[in-house]
Amino acid sequence: MSELHVMSEKQSPPTVASPVSGAGKPLSVTKVRKTYGAMTAVDEVSMEIGAGEFVTFLGSSGSGKTTTLMMIAGFVEPESGSIVVGGRDVTRLAPQKRGLGFVFQQYLLFPHMTVSENVAFPLQLRGLSKQEIRTRVGETLEMAGLSRFARRRPRELSGGQQQRVALCRALVYRPPVILMDEPLGALDKKLRDQLQTEIKRIQRELGLTVIYVTHDQEEALVLSDRIAVMRDGRIDQFDTPQELFERPRTPFVADFLGAANFLPGTVESDDAVRLDTGGVLRIRRHDLASGVRARAAVQPGRLAVCAPEDGFCTGIVETVTYVGTLVRVTIRPDGADTCVRLEIPAGRAPLMGDRVGLTADPRDVSVFDGTAG
Amino acid sequence: MAVLAPPPEPVVAAAATGGWRRRLSGRRTRFGLLNATPVVVYLLVLFVYPIFSTLLLSLKDEDGGFTLHWYADALSGTSLDILLITLRISAETSAISLVVGFLLAYWITRLRPIWAGLVMLVVVVPHFISALVRTYGWIILLGDHGLVNETLVALHVPGAPFQLLYNELGVVIGTTSVMLPYTVLLLYAVMRGVDRGLIAAAASMGAGRLVTFFRVYLPLVAPGLVNAGILSFILCLGYYLTPALMGGPKQTMVASLIDEQVMKNNQWNGASALGVILLLLTFAGLLSLRLVKSVSEAAKNRGGA
Amino acid sequence: MIGLRDSVAGRLVLGVISLLVLVFLGLPIVLILVTSFGSDALGSFPPESWTLTWYQQLFADGSKWPAALALSATVAALTTVFSVVLGMMAAIALVRSDLPLRSAVYGLVLAPLVIPQVVVALGLFLLFEPAAMLGSPIAIALGHTVLATPIAVMILMATLKGIDERLEDAAASMGAGRLTIARRITFPLAAPGVIAAAIFSFITSFDEFFISQFLSSVDTITLPVQVFNVLQFDVDPSVTAVAALLIAVALVALGLVALLRRFGTGKQGGLLPVETGVPAGGEPK
Repeated sequence: MSELHVMSEKQSPPTVASPVSGAGKPLSVTKVRKTYGAMTAVDEVSMEIGAGEFVTFLGSSGSGKTTTLMMIAGFVEPESGSIVVGGRDVTRLAPQKRGLGFVFQQYLLFPHMTVSENVAFPLQLRGLSKQEIRTRVGETLEMAGLSRFARRRPRELSGGQQQRVALCRALVYRPPVILMDEPLGALDKKLRDQLQTEIKRIQRELGLTVIYVTHDQEEALVLSDRIAVMRDGRIDQFDTPQELFERPRTPFVADFLGAANFLPGTVESDDAVRLDTGGVLRIRRHDLASGVRARAAVQPGRLAVCAPEDGFCTGIVETVTYVGTLVRVTIRPDGADTCVRLEIPAGRAPLMGDRVGLTADPRDVSVFDGTAG
Repeated sequence: MAVLAPPPEPVVAAAATGGWRRRLSGRRTRFGLLNATPVVVYLLVLFVYPIFSTLLLSLKDEDGGFTLHWYADALSGTSLDILLITLRISAETSAISLVVGFLLAYWITRLRPIWAGLVMLVVVVPHFISALVRTYGWIILLGDHGLVNETLVALHVPGAPFQLLYNELGVVIGTTSVMLPYTVLLLYAVMRGVDRGLIAAAASMGAGRLVTFFRVYLPLVAPGLVNAGILSFILCLGYYLTPALMGGPKQTMVASLIDEQVMKNNQWNGASALGVILLLLTFAGLLSLRLVKSVSEAAKNRGGA
Repeated sequence: MIGLRDSVAGRLVLGVISLLVLVFLGLPIVLILVTSFGSDALGSFPPESWTLTWYQQLFADGSKWPAALALSATVAALTTVFSVVLGMMAAIALVRSDLPLRSAVYGLVLAPLVIPQVVVALGLFLLFEPAAMLGSPIAIALGHTVLATPIAVMILMATLKGIDERLEDAAASMGAGRLTIARRITFPLAAPGVIAAAIFSFITSFDEFFISQFLSSVDTITLPVQVFNVLQFDVDPSVTAVAALLIAVALVALGLVALLRRFGTGKQGGLLPVETGVPAGGEPK
């Protein structure tokens, strides 16, 4: 790490050659680790995040996503590994010296300051002129549609408005990376959808680099350029939403993002699995050896109903539930204990008790080693 | 979809053995010690040590040797009478405060919030006005020609005017008015915590008013009642002002005796022994409070299991 | 107690009793305020005629009251400074740190509220008498601080608990250093609580009788001790006016605290220390 000390405190431009990997990136995290007692909260997580990227840490409680974020922010110090922001190693720096932005789930607006005073606060810390502060605060509030609340106190605002103010406060000083810890977690569904759109819009307009933590898959899919799916302190897969959805690398990812159906069977060739229920399912090419126990994973939306003789398996329709334009169908394949879930357009819904076949495009079927996850 | 809605992750886990965490917790500990030291030293010097020296003094005879005769003195003759009077007046006061406070606190819980707030104001404001001043108010009120007796005479109440001052009645009236706000505040806090649904549930099962009251409501507020009773009893024990001003010679309480021993008779050892007895009585009260608390908590846990 | 709620008679009886109790609590105070303006300061109610004589007499030549008032104010001011400083540090230690033996420290801090004051006063007397400090305003203030500190600590602890510690994290995330956080975030949020603690410390000392009585000398007599002496030995009708002034001071103090609560931003557990639960060595949550 000794090279770091000779580096400038300012963000180095990406063109400067540097021995530290990811020096030009807004953020690079290398093998950070954190344990609490016997529990490993974060286990050697590494990642690089590019300028203007919207990255989400997605995982359930205890997956290590928040701890990772807190280590980047400086509220938690890693035991090993390093965190480099804009070419500067900040691993051991106090939060206030990292120059990042943070949006908290609980807003944490200063109750004794008005909205504009809250947004002006970080600018005052940076010693900007009064004129400059006024202009920037005005612009930022304008952009977030908060101008008319400038003189209000936080407690006079709704939750959604408060979180908008918190967002303004975190981006007004243009930090290289803005960290957001489940910022919409305390809001109701409708408001959450609305604010998601808004956060995405502002992030695109200003080209912000954002790291966002959530446990909500939908939110992650809507917002992110890339998603790091976390489990047990590790990153299972760090990819674009489409890749995660279409080419999940682990059963966990397939299940967590798409609630995939898992169909047990035995690998027959490099593009087919013989299911335990009898039929042969054509799958995407894979590298498992023939004869290995495996599970084929298909998202509910990628299965279709067909005539019994055309499908890779047959079964009886158990339930049919209308949810808007889609219909959720469960089908119990012959000889199976568990049902298969489908989401199909309303017009093509079978009736309860029908005997039907199931088909899927081989490109939509992933296969995992039967013993994994 | 696998719907997961977990609570936020415990970022700052309580159990922290990581090196950095330990260093931080060390810093937090040092920070705490640094801030706690002044007040602890202050109270050790100006509160604990003086009480401790009182204890020592009460065990010393004139030559500096060990003796228990100050305690023997304190527990015999007029001194013993005064102790018993103190206990009796304290018991009377706390009992009356409890009953009256219970009624008032209950009434307040039944009022609309705005009225409850106003009534609480009438209860709380006197609490912050010098007891000396309130006692003086009672002296004016209860005198032979005070408002109370004048009213009674005007109403042709037989026997009026009554002797209301410089006797036990006067003392109990005075001390009760001082203790009552305390009792009401404590009881009100407990009563507000009672789940109204339980009362309704009891009634829905066919329990009559009395049964509901004695079997459901009273047990629910009982810990609060005991708490308030013991606390006002303890506070009464060492009370000085009102008995000294509104009582006669027969209503001398321990605090007055201590004052007299120190100021008039220069008898510090005897005063110390009385002080220690008062202290022990207080500790006994606090201990029983603890006991009641742990018993009721144990009962609650058993009920919950 | 559905019973009393349901029966009209029960409600009526309860209401009448309660109103009588309220009169019982309030009457002595109202009576003093009214009679202090009456021509017969020790007697009839309502007064037959009105006068300001008693207030004028307070400041007449040879009156002992101004000296007593000055002493009480001095002592109360000193007590306020001592107990707010000690109380603030103690509250920080109890709320914002990992303090070893925390509950023991908490118990010690609150103990003066339940230990009989006569015992505290006697102990302080034994401490200051050999030091020839009887009659010293400092000694009296030091004694009052023992009683005022627990109250200040309770109010300040509630204040600190009402301030979200993560607001400080939020400020740090934007680049604020420790000092800036203290100056711009923590202190402004704690200010109403600090002022409330100061006010309650002040009236605790201003009204305190027993410790003052034990630690006073012939020359240094606080206002409450003077009132007591007058009631017990002399008859000075202007004492009613003093009592009325004491009431006024307490009312103004409570009014200030109420205003602070109204306009203050920091949330506080309760207006009054007693509302947060009287300590019995226990730990109010």
